[in-house]
Formats: sequence, structure tokens, C-alpha cells
Amino acid sequence: MKRRLNFTGRKRIKRDQVTINFIKHRDFIDSFNFINFDHSDLELPANACVYVEAYYRTELKRFPFGTIENFSAPQSTSLTDMAYRQNLKFRVLVVETRSKKILAVADGISPDSPSDRRPILPVEFKDLGNRVWELNFEEEETSPILLINERIPDIHNIAKRDPSFFVYVYPFVLHDILNHMVFVDGIDSITDPQIEWHHDWLDFVSGMGVQPKKCLIKDSDSHDQSEASKWIEQAVEAFSDRYQKYFQAMIMKGEENQ
Amino acid sequence: MIKARALSVDGEKKFKEYISTVRENPSTPRPNLNTAPFSIEFIRELHIEESIALNSKAELAHYIQEQIRTSDLKREDVIDKNLFWSWLAYIWFDQLTLFAPDTGNRIVKEEAKYVCSRDYRDYYRHLVAGPYLILSLLGSRLSRIFLHSPVYTHNDFIEQIASRQFLITHLNLIEVVDLLYWDENKSRPKQGALSRNKPGNLRRFIKVIQQLELTYDIYSLSKDDIIRILPDEFRNWLNQ
Repeated sequence: MKRRLNFTGRKRIKRDQVTINFIKHRDFIDSFNFINFDHSDLELPANACVYVEAYYRTELKRFPFGTIENFSAPQSTSLTDMAYRQNLKFRVLVVETRSKKILAVADGISPDSPSDRRPILPVEFKDLGNRVWELNFEEEETSPILLINERIPDIHNIAKRDPSFFVYVYPFVLHDILNHMVFVDGIDSITDPQIEWHHDWLDFVSGMGVQPKKCLIKDSDSHDQSEASKWIEQAVEAFSDRYQKYFQAMIMKGEENQ
Repeated sequence: MIKARALSVDGEKKFKEYISTVRENPSTPRPNLNTAPFSIEFIRELHIEESIALNSKAELAHYIQEQIRTSDLKREDVIDKNLFWSWLAYIWFDQLTLFAPDTGNRIVKEEAKYVCSRDYRDYYRHLVAGPYLILSLLGSRLSRIFLHSPVYTHNDFIEQIASRQFLITHLNLIEVVDLLYWDENKSRPKQGALSRNKPGNLRRFIKVIQQLELTYDIYSLSKDDIIRILPDEFRNWLNQ
């Protein structure tokens, strides 16, 4: 786990203090809206500049949003000249006008979807050779991406609806993601982790009735590798229970074929 | 001119096998991967000259940029098409592999130089995709320090800077790199820029910037602002 030592005094903008949405045109991402920025508890100077950056890999585009006092959207927030639009993340920065020092930042923000339900696992269809799926953990700050092999006929539908796919793939995906989160990245808090996607997945697991435990926090006295592994297994079991209808459907399909 | 193609998975596999074989046996003939099932037509309008002589990375990147432009395509249409970049490396493989003058042997480097990786941490190492990516991000003048070298080489400016997302996406930082380390008179990087010992070398620059970015919004700074906050060890480079 990378240490995040903050000697600079810059403040952290929490994920729930900003709302960013993609604007789509015929299913293609066109631009974005930066709707909400609740900085009331951050005590930022009125004349500090607010910027939003859209980024992924070597793509980076910055948009000025006025100042803390005079928050105003730029004329255009077009993203059409950026590659990898589906995977773009956002960064919100508040910068001291004269010294150009960063006063507050939120990084690795995934846009909220219009329905307010943000997918926690972006999916990309790619040619993966002879593999059915793989997980892409490119950067610590950005959420993992599930890559599914586009060579498989009708794979878009299979991934969404096929009970076998649900049973054979998604529990292992969940297992690998939690494993990476707990043992590779390391969680720094179970209630308010700094990495946004950790937050999302802890919420997701909590939503299934498996509460995060202190044993998951990597750099702490309470960290317990064996207990953390057990927690991951419980999460996978809860997930499989939640989607037991797919398991049942798969069994029934097998019986019909006999 | 041939229509642009993209390798298929089978084609990529064959290409990898060829790379591995030709490394041991330079006279191995290049397999024909320009037909199905080893490749597929990529974008109908895009044509590529297979036998064009490309003398530098800059020439290569400009050539691709021009072909893309005249085909009414944009960089975002091609930048993530790994199997297209691998196909380009396949058709230009002879140019991308140096024949050592002493032995006459072909020098074949690591696979990622020819087979474009899906992982962006290796993507920039590709000898065709890398230069195009850099030119498309930085433009002609700012890319010169990265693209001055022959097509078959991979220089340390690319390795040290293009691999770091923060650096390659900040044009003002690249302006400073150009100002510090590019020799206008000789049209090549200044001597010692890549040294590990000389004060203010490229590696030191990266370390210093990594410290400064924790405090400053580098994006908001002009190149003169950045130079002003750099330690004294970098001053000598400006006067060379």
C-alpha cells in the first residue's frame, strides 16, 4: 500500500461532496455536468479557483469552473476529442489564485450515471485471445475494469443474462477485486477509505449484509490476514446467495438438457 | 499502398512466434499475415505504404498522422487499437529491427516494442504506437526531444517521461524539458541530459517535479513559473 503522507496541508474533498454526470448523445459520451460541489466544511478562500480535470491514461483535459465564490461552468465541457471516454475519471482541484498552491482535491471520481446508480464495475469488450475474462487494475486510484473477450459470439448478451456466466464468472470477479483491494492496495479505513473505488466496493459488500471489519485495514494492529480472507469468502457467498436465481436457472437448464 | 489492417488474435500469436524465432535465427522469413485469418481490414479509408523508408521516429509519427488526417480519422479513433499498431510494426518490422554492423545479425528487442500491449504501462514502448501517441499529444516541436532518434531505438526520454502519466500530459512541463535539454544548434538532446550523475539531469528533474506536484498546481504554472521554482542545479542547463 502506498503511503499517503500529506505534508502540504491540502484538504480532501470527499466523494459525496461532488456530483459529476456524463452527458450522452445517442449512447455516446459527449460532455459532462459538474452539478454539485459542497465545500461548506472546507473553509476555502472565496477567490480560490476551481478546476475539473477529465483523465484516463495519457488523456487529460482541464475545465475551469470559476472560483469558490463565483462558481460558473465553462462554455463547453465537451469530451469528444478524448479517447477512452467510457473510462474517464475526474479530478476536482481548488487552487490558490496567486501562489498556485493546491488547497483541496478530490481524485479518481467516477461520474454518476443519470439514474444516480453508478456502475462500480466498468466493462470493456476486447479481444483477450483465449481467455474469457480478466480484470484490469491499472491504477490504484481508478476502479478495476472487467475485460470480457469480444471474440465470444453474442457475448454482450451472455454477460448480461446468461445464468452460467453469472455463476461461473461474477463470483470470481468479486473475489479477485476484494482480494486486490484488501491485500494488494490495502484499505486505509473501513468507513471512509481514501480510494473511491474501495469505498464503492465496501458499500456494495455491506449492502449484501457483510459488514467491513477492522481486520481489513492493512497498516493497522487489527489487521488479520486470515480473518480478512474469511471476510472475502463471506462476501462471495453472500453474492452467490443474492443471485441464487441464476444458479437455480442453470441447474434447471442442465436438467432440461439431460 | 495497402489498406490498413489489424492483426487478429491468431495473427498476433504468429507475429509473437516470428519475433521469438527471428531473434535466434535472423534469416527466418517473415510470415504473410496480411490475409485472413491472421488480419482483418481495419478502416477502409486508411492506406499505408509498406515500403516507405522512415528515418526517424518523428518521420514515422508524422507519416501516420498524415495518413490518419487524410482519411478523415482522429487520434481518438485509432489510439486504443492495439492490433492495428501491432500490424504496422509487422509490416515495418525490417525497419524496426536494427542489423548490427559487426555481426550482421538482426537486433530484436523485447516483444512490447513490436506487439502493442493492452497495458498502458507498456503501450508507450511500442515502436510505432509510442511515437504517434507522443506526436499527437505534444505536437511537432515539443515531441522532437522524444522522436529525434532512429525508428528502431527506444530512447530514455520516452522511457522516463512517456511512462509517467503526470509528466506526459502536462505540456508546460514538456516545454521545460525541451528548454533545459534540447540543443537547438545541434538538433539533438544536450550532452549529459540523460546522465545519472550530472546535476540537474533528466532523472533529477522528474524527482523534483514529483515533489513540487504535491504542493503546486503544475498545470496552472507557465514554463517560466516552473523554471523559477526549480532548484539552482537546473540553471546551468538553460545557458548551455
